Order: sequence, then structure tokens, then C-alpha cells
Amino acid sequence: MIEYLLLAPILTGILCLLTRSRKQVEAISLTGSVVTLILGVSLVIDVYQNGIIMSWTNTLFADAFSAFIVLIVSIVGFVASIYSVGYMGHEFKHGILDLRKLKIYYVLFHMFMFTMLLVGVTNNLGLWIAIEMTTLVSALLMILYSRKSSVEAAWKYMIICTVGITFALFGTILTYYGAVKILGESGDALNWTSLIAVADQFDPTIMKLAFIFILIGYGTKAGLAPMHTWLPDAHSEAPTPVSALLSGVLLNCAMYGIIRFYTIASKSTGTEFTSNLLIIFGLLSLGIAVPFIILQEDYKRMLAYSSVEHMGIIAIGIGFGGTFGVFGALLHMFNHAMTKSLMFFGSGNVLLKHGTKEINKVSGVVKSMPVTGAMLLIGGLAITGSPPFSIFISEFTILSAGFLQGHIIASVLFLLFIIMIFAGFFYNLSKMTFGTPKPGIIPGEVSKMTLGAMAILVVFVFVLGIYMPPVFYEMIMKVVAVVK
Amino acid sequence: MSEVVFGSKLMQLLIAMILVSTFMILGSTRLYSCVRAFGIQSFLLACVAGIVAYSTGKNDIYIVALLTLILKAAVIPYIFLYIIREIKVTREIELYVNISPSLIIGGVLVVISYYLIRSISIISELSSLALSASMSLVSIGLFIMISRKKALMQMLGILIMENGLFLGAISLTYGMPLLVELGIFFDVLIGVLIMGILIFRINKTFESIDTDMLKTLIG
Repeated sequence: MIEYLLLAPILTGILCLLTRSRKQVEAISLTGSVVTLILGVSLVIDVYQNGIIMSWTNTLFADAFSAFIVLIVSIVGFVASIYSVGYMGHEFKHGILDLRKLKIYYVLFHMFMFTMLLVGVTNNLGLWIAIEMTTLVSALLMILYSRKSSVEAAWKYMIICTVGITFALFGTILTYYGAVKILGESGDALNWTSLIAVADQFDPTIMKLAFIFILIGYGTKAGLAPMHTWLPDAHSEAPTPVSALLSGVLLNCAMYGIIRFYTIASKSTGTEFTSNLLIIFGLLSLGIAVPFIILQEDYKRMLAYSSVEHMGIIAIGIGFGGTFGVFGALLHMFNHAMTKSLMFFGSGNVLLKHGTKEINKVSGVVKSMPVTGAMLLIGGLAITGSPPFSIFISEFTILSAGFLQGHIIASVLFLLFIIMIFAGFFYNLSKMTFGTPKPGIIPGEVSKMTLGAMAILVVFVFVLGIYMPPVFYEMIMKVVAVVK
Repeated sequence: MSEVVFGSKLMQLLIAMILVSTFMILGSTRLYSCVRAFGIQSFLLACVAGIVAYSTGKNDIYIVALLTLILKAAVIPYIFLYIIREIKVTREIELYVNISPSLIIGGVLVVISYYLIRSISIISELSSLALSASMSLVSIGLFIMISRKKALMQMLGILIMENGLFLGAISLTYGMPLLVELGIFFDVLIGVLIMGILIFRINKTFESIDTDMLKTLIG
């Protein structure tokens, strides 16, 4: 089961390499991502009904939490591959990419999907390997365009994330050191399933040290401040569908690593130490995002800083703890993935139309591209946490957990930062969407495919804001049980 | 057990030599000698792994030692030399921090690492020697990354950090399980190749591999 899920994107990638025309490569990519989505969803259903699945002599596994990550990866991946057809097709038509580059793009796209799925289903602290692989593949995706700025962004991304991840490796080694003392030296001593069972016997000093290194390491990858410096560069310079994957999914994968270690470390150090660290880093991320969003001149960078903000919110949710906090954080992972992808897709259409990423050079999107403009506005309202959209629900849940658990100061700061970000973000977005279109812009949408992809996401953003399907609720509650 | 292995005179000598090779990188202004020193360091590391394998009798560690020898002491230095030759980079490395202050900072970092590791009481006395060398390598690698201008030196810095962690892992727990260890080797190799591609791309777009140029994306 799990093997097939991992095999699907690899095969798709290889097949993309063998194609000879744009039509072929797009058809294979779309088919591949549909297959990946179907396998992903069936894995989720399987886990939901039967509990933990093991495979390949316990190297691969899927519990409720893995399934949740797989669900996010495969949904956003599917939507991004639809969007890619429209977006990359447009670039291809205008001669920005040739067929060779287009093929490379699709091959790397599916390899990227593979590495992210692998993060979710590795039953091992060797999760590290999968997360490092995501960096390697996505750095290559970033240099698809040979612009100076993309090369610079890719280099910074590569260097900062590799150093970060090296710290995470040290944390992993320390955890293994702690585990070996109890489990003995065996391949199993790094498996989640065996670690969780004995986690309360680990030496607290070692685990504290390990957790700090892990938090800094994976925190770099998850874009937590102050290790977030690569993020705005990378997310704004990557091709738009990849930006959506980076912001919506990859950050969640790194967060997944942190949360897994949080669960293990908390059992021996007690939750106070680990939770406080998460709350501090989370608040710092929120705080740093505020000025950069308000004063931002580049709309893709603005979205990237908004990702820093939302990763901070997820960290805070886990830090607040309790059923409410963890539930809110997990729901937020899902909601943020959907909404941020929607926003990146919308901004991608704006970029194709206007050819600039500067906020001040764009206006009247609602008039020139009514559908994109409307969906951008919905996404903008949602991402800043306005009711009745999905992110409002998760942010509200996290906030109530904060007051419930007695983190009054943190909760008040949280609320304050969110309000400031709302104002700044919406001010910038309204400059782009309202008003009269700039001269020389011909009205009309860029491509129907991109709108289709966005429409799927709007459904998620809207429906989860007003109605929580019981199945989905139960699924997240199962993940909460794993994390807590 | 670990006391026996890491307490031996031979092991202490090897660990000291690994530190010396790190200072060779720190004290050199020529790219070639830096790469050579890195090769020596990786060779010594493979020796450490070999001795640990011999004294514990574990076949897994032999494989790890062999891979270290092939990958880090031969293939990766070769990739470096290939890049240096292909892009005709100037052989001098430009520095933000000069050689003599660099060496002093390196020395200070070693002392700090030594005291930091000593202060963690649960780590046994003798493997703490290897561990403090490992911490020194990590911090000196980081320092090399920020104090040298050439993109190649940043790549070398990361590899030195990785070597440091390898030493740490082998002294704490005789390395990680084989599967994880193989995965790490795979990632390091692919990582070096991709960084190589990026360096070629930087050279093509900026006509230089000085990271000074990479300062446009701010705010």
C-alpha cells in the first residue's frame, strides 16, 4: 500500500522524462497526480479504519498523523499539477521555457512530491534523510529560470537549510544515543513505534538538548523566525506552482518533524519545557512577520512572510497544548495549506498578466480578471483569519486553547499580531485588487486550468469555514491522540 | 566499551590529527590545499570508523568506513577539483577574516567546545574527547562558511560540519543504524552534486563565485 503510494510519483517522473511533446508530458503529469491522490486518499481511509499500517520490515509506516500529512501533500500536489498545466503552459507558449525545461520541471515536480510523501511515511528518525532530500529537489526547481535572483535564492536556500538540517541531524544523533541506552543497539532503536513506547524513560538532559537542536534544525526548514531568512527569497523566486507546494506542504512536512520529536521529548522532559520553546519561537515568527507584511513591496514575498506567520501560529497551537490547542494547530496545517496555495495560484495569475511582482504596479485585478480577483479576495480574507472562512475556525480554536491553558500574555500578543497582520495584508491586497487596471493590461483570464485549480481550493476554504464534516473531525481527533 | 575504544592512544592521535587537518583548512589561502586538507580529514575519519569497527567487530561499521573512504576522501574532493578546473576560478580564496585571526578564533572555538561537552555530565569521560572534537569541527565548519567569500568554501564548510557530526555519531553510539547511515551518505553525495550545479549556475549568471554578489534579495 505505502510502497505503491511512493512508487506513483517516481514512475510519473520517469514517464515524464520519456515524453516528446507538451501535450504528452502534461497528460502524464495529470494522470500521475490523480493516481497519487487516489492512492493517498485510500491510504488515509485504510489508516482511518484499521489503525497503523507497517510495511517493508517496519521501515515504512503510516499512523493517523502520517496519513494526515499524506492527505495534505496529495491534495495540494494534485491541485498544483492542474495549475501547472495552465501556468507553465502559458510560460511555454510565450517562449520563457523550452520543451526540455518543461520536462525537467515535471520530472522534478513529481520527485518533489515523492520526497514529501516519504517524509510522512518514514517510520524512523531517518526522517532527516527525507527532509534533506526535499531541499535538494526543490533547490533544483528554483533554478529552472536562469534569472540572477532565482540563482541567488536557490543558493541561500540550499546553504541555510542544509546547515539547519545538520543541526537537526545532531539532535537526531542525541535522541538515538538516548534510545540506545534503553532499547539497545538495533535498527529498531530509531523507529517511532518503538521510541514512543519507552520515551518516558529517556534521560531528560539528553532529550532537552536533542529537542533544542531539532527545533532549530527543522525550524529552519519550517520557516520559524529567526531562522526564516531564506524563506521569502525561495518562495518568491520559485515557479508559482512550486511556491504553493513549498509554502503549503513543505513547511508542514518540516513542522511534522518538529511535532513528532515534541511528542517524544515531552514524555521525558515534561511538556512545560518543550511547549514554552514552541510558544516563544511561534510568537517570534508572528512578530517578525508583522513589519515585513505591512511594508512589503513584492506580493509574492508578502505571501511568503504570511507563511512565516502561519507556521508560527501552528507552533503556538502545539505549544498551548491540550486537546483544543493541538486540534487547532493540526486543523490550521490543513487550512493554511489550502488557503496559501490558493493565494499563490491567484498571485501567479496576476504575475502572468502583469509581468511584475511589485504591489504598486498592479491594480484593478477584480476588473481585469474578475474570477481570479474574486478568488484572491476570498483567499485574502481567509488567510488573514476573517470569518466565515476555514482559517478563522482554527485560529479561534488555538486562541481559546491559549486562554484555557492560562497562557494569557502569549494569547494577547498572538491576537495583537494577527490583527496587525490582517490590517497590513489587506491594505496591500486591496491596492492590487481594487481600483482601475493599469494601462496596457488587456482584460481577460490567463488560463482556464488555473481557475479550475483555484476553484477546488476555494471549496475547501469555504466549506471548512462553515461546516466540519464528522469524518474529518474524527480523523483529526485521531491525530490529536497520536500527538498528545 | 566506548572507554576502551576511545581511550586508546591510537584513537587519541587520530582525533588530534583530525583537528589539525581542520586547522590546515582554516590556515590556508589556496583552494587546492583546502580541498586536500579536507581529503586528509575524511581519510582520518574513515580510519577512526575502521578502528571502531575492528574493536567492536561490527560489519555495519566496516561498510560505513569504506563508504567514508570512497565518498568523502576520494569522490567529493575530486568533484571539488573538477569544479575548480572547469570554472577556472582564481586559486586564492578571498577572506572576510584574515588567516591569523581565523586561526585564533578556531582555537577559541575548540576550547569552548571542549568545556561545553565536559559540562554535560552524562557523557562518559573518554568519548567526550571525540565528542568535543566533533563539536569543534561543527563550529569551525560554520565559521569557515561565514568568513570565506567563495561559494566553494561554503560548500566545504558544510562538509566539515557533516564530518564533525559523523565523528560525534560514531563516538556516541558507534554510528547510526546502517540504513540511516546509507541515507545520509546518499544525501551528502546528491547535495554536493546539486551544490556543484548551483555553483556552475552562479558562475554563469554572475561571472564570479564570490558570494558578495548575492545580496539583492533583502526585506
